[in-house]
Amino acid sequence: MAATTEEDEQERTGESESAPARRPRGRGRIATAVSVFGELLITAGLILGLFVVYSLWWTNVIADREAKKQGNRVRDHWEAKGPGALNTKDGIGFLHVPTMSGGEILVTKGTNTKTLNHGVAGYYTKPIKSALPQDKKGNFTLAAHRDGHGAKFHKIDKIDEGDPIVFESRDKWYVYKVYKTLPETSKYNVRVLDPIPKESGAKKAGRYITLTTCTPVFTSKYRYVVWGKLERIEKVDSERTPPPELD
Amino acid sequence: MYGWIWRHLPGNAWVKALLSLLLVLVVVYVLFQYVFPWAEPLLPFNDVTVDGQ
Repeated sequence: MAATTEEDEQERTGESESAPARRPRGRGRIATAVSVFGELLITAGLILGLFVVYSLWWTNVIADREAKKQGNRVRDHWEAKGPGALNTKDGIGFLHVPTMSGGEILVTKGTNTKTLNHGVAGYYTKPIKSALPQDKKGNFTLAAHRDGHGAKFHKIDKIDEGDPIVFESRDKWYVYKVYKTLPETSKYNVRVLDPIPKESGAKKAGRYITLTTCTPVFTSKYRYVVWGKLERIEKVDSERTPPPELD
Repeated sequence: MYGWIWRHLPGNAWVKALLSLLLVLVVVYVLFQYVFPWAEPLLPFNDVTVDGQ
């Protein structure tokens, strides 16, 4: 409205001064402000669109590249039979979940954002310290991204009770079987990481595995939890033949 | 705003178009490389762990 009024005024004054000046200079002010504002809105929309592209596509590209490099380093450490302790800085092994497919998931220490953004699954060091697969008892607790940054646990909702989860270390295959899923829980529910995760129905100490990620997809409102229990351990042979679950 | 940029780019329309394209690429690069990685942790889309806080 304001723009029109001013335009009218301008036109009238313009006519009084000189008839051919159809578009006097003064018209610009508000019209320019409005058009700049509109362009800013368009720009904001484009930036938001780009952000979606960034989060759902570009971060995956970066993370997968990083995870592959890091995974190769782990396999190199495994092959190099040097003296001393095994170098686990780049990762302790690989997680295979046939139901989620998507190949192997490198497992590294810690669950901070920077670590997980490398397209890996991290084992918890806090608030409740994770056990490791080789420990006699405890809960091997993992977290990974649902979307972006590799989205390693994207298809966690496809996992059903009875599905296998296999962890591959240098010389062992740890075959777990899923016995309970929890599609939605509070992000404050740290009890799911307990050495004996009572919420899953577990009563005795044992060798458990827990996968956590965010849910629903694209947001972080709740957490999705999957529990498994160790079924058996297989030795890795010279060919690294995977256990039958992975065929 | 965009009109202003267009008017201030040198050369004929083709040169201007080329320069605009370069500008767009620079902006996208800066966004992907610096702005989005900075903004992402501030947004509640990608927290995947359970914790006490």
